[in-house]
Amino acid sequence: MIRKIAATALVMGLVLPGVSQAAKVKIGFINTITGAEAPIGENLTNGVTMAIEDLKKKGIEVDLTKEDDTGKPEKSLAAFEKLATRDNVAGVVGPYTSACSSAVASQADKYKVPLLIPVAAKEDITRKGYKYVFRLNAPADVYSSVLMDTVLALDKPKTIAYIYESTDFGTSTVNTAKEYAKRLGIQEVAEEKYQKGAPDFRSTLSKIKSKNPDLVFMVSYVVDAITLMRQSKEIGLAPKAFLGGGAGFTTAQFLAQKEISNLVMSSTQWTDDVNWPGAADFAKRYTAKYKKEPSYHAACAYAAMMIMAETASKSEGDRDKTRNALKAGQWNGIMGEVKFADYAGFTNQNNHQMLVQQVQDGKYETVFPAKFATKKPIYPFKWK
Amino acid sequence: MTFSVLVQSIISGLLVGGVYALIGVGLTIIFGVMRVINFAHGDIMMVGMYMTYFLFTLFGVDPFMSVLITMPLMFVFGAIMQKVFINRILGTLPQNQILLTIGLGLIMSNAAMLAFTSDYKILTTSYSSSSFNVAGISISQPLLTSFLITCVITAGLYWFLMKTDTGQAIRATAQDREAAQLMGINVKWMSILSFGIGSAMAGTAGALISPTYYIFPQVGSAFTLKAFVITVLGGMGSIVGATLGGIIIGLVESVAAVTISSDWKDVVVFSIFLLVLLIKPSGLMGKSRM
Repeated sequence: MIRKIAATALVMGLVLPGVSQAAKVKIGFINTITGAEAPIGENLTNGVTMAIEDLKKKGIEVDLTKEDDTGKPEKSLAAFEKLATRDNVAGVVGPYTSACSSAVASQADKYKVPLLIPVAAKEDITRKGYKYVFRLNAPADVYSSVLMDTVLALDKPKTIAYIYESTDFGTSTVNTAKEYAKRLGIQEVAEEKYQKGAPDFRSTLSKIKSKNPDLVFMVSYVVDAITLMRQSKEIGLAPKAFLGGGAGFTTAQFLAQKEISNLVMSSTQWTDDVNWPGAADFAKRYTAKYKKEPSYHAACAYAAMMIMAETASKSEGDRDKTRNALKAGQWNGIMGEVKFADYAGFTNQNNHQMLVQQVQDGKYETVFPAKFATKKPIYPFKWK
Repeated sequence: MTFSVLVQSIISGLLVGGVYALIGVGLTIIFGVMRVINFAHGDIMMVGMYMTYFLFTLFGVDPFMSVLITMPLMFVFGAIMQKVFINRILGTLPQNQILLTIGLGLIMSNAAMLAFTSDYKILTTSYSSSSFNVAGISISQPLLTSFLITCVITAGLYWFLMKTDTGQAIRATAQDREAAQLMGINVKWMSILSFGIGSAMAGTAGALISPTYYIFPQVGSAFTLKAFVITVLGGMGSIVGATLGGIIIGLVESVAAVTISSDWKDVVVFSIFLLVLLIKPSGLMGKSRM
């Protein structure tokens, strides 16, 4: 009997690796693992790691090649070329930042490698008609429009001031915000661009304060959001609403700064209390595994890797088949419904519904759109 | 733009400039005495920032009080660095010195990344975003405190260098290393002392900026660059020059941000920098040397 079990186990042991190898699919993942944006990049890495585990449970073995672009477009490009020519991957997920993604997207058609961008927001990326470039997240224009829609549902603001970092993400988000504000008849009273990581915004903020705007719209990566809000409080800048365009305004660290984060509204691709299938479960498992809450970057990266690996696996690693399957397919997961469509000048762009969250009593609450909301928005803004 | 906005920007520029000055003074002392350009200066500052962070989160030491602990510890840290590494390359080619200090900086920032991860650390004190109002001008409380501490430290350092025997010996070493040695000054010891002082200044600047800024392993590089602009503007090796340089840079950044735009403030800073170098190549307070 024992011998029989041992023999079966031995046979299984010999056979099983063979089975899994047959289904193994090669995927590349470009991310910012070191460098200034690494703290957000880490969320993407965690999301992808969880996706690989879940894929394994589904019987899809992924042979993942990770590349670090350190946040620099030229390194991102080199990584993509390596993945396309040397590693022979079926598809690539990434890179993280807008600057890196625009650089890499321009080469995807040349190498005919399907590229699925999880979080980069710059609009141009999917506006150039690239056949092999797909984007899961909503582009930059939605970051601002969804926020303004939230306020418009409550009030008729007359003036707006912008303060944003001089990166691809910051500039493209604010450019579209300006267009949208103009259409709504909201007058622009100040526009201030800053160098990422600057320690002192006091003079800029006091200039904005002197214009007394109804809305202040800010775009910044990671911790500049905290510096900006701290100094706004110092200066006594108090508009009717502080609007944060994603990124730095949606992190757990920002939330932890209770004194300054309260009542700030920010647009986000994802929240953990939204009723998309598996979102709450993902948040729970993520928190248990990494001892911190997932940001929208983690959810986007997770969903992107699931979609890419499943599609590539079904297409048996063939690049053209994968590309066609991505174009034709439809998914419903933790990011809601995903479909890569051509609309309003975009190509292969998922028309993703962005959400607005507001910090209330030390928690992020989804406040817009109404059908996903957990709490009503609190307006106007007041310092704690 | 109203008058009060301008006054506001001048005041915050002055206060920020004070901390810049402290970073610059540290770099200029090291260069003055040893003619070594310390590319690890920002990373030393980063070490000071982490020290402050852990003193605060683990032991509850207020960041401004922690200067009393950070300063001597960073002095020892710098002195050991000088004794073990820098001393060996004092007489060698400048590019070797540059490579060594860059290397030390890389080791420090990457070791910090390994030990503390690349996560941003944010020090939240009760006064991190508090300010008081004087005639409609808001003055940041943490910034004012750090400015006052900077003034005390810079004045103390100036007194030390001008009035004490050891200070005179350091200055003598800075003026002519060989002549100082012939006069019986232990120049190796002076080098260790000045590198220690330089590191202590950088570490203190890190401690002072912590309550209002944030901490991550690569934070140093931005400040290394700033420190260079400050010291070159003021004149390499001149303490008064570095103080002046720091305040000028802080002021120009701040005023340019309101009068032109925050996007252009670096252009203004570097234009002034180039202009000064064009007219006075040795910097504001620097003596031209061979």
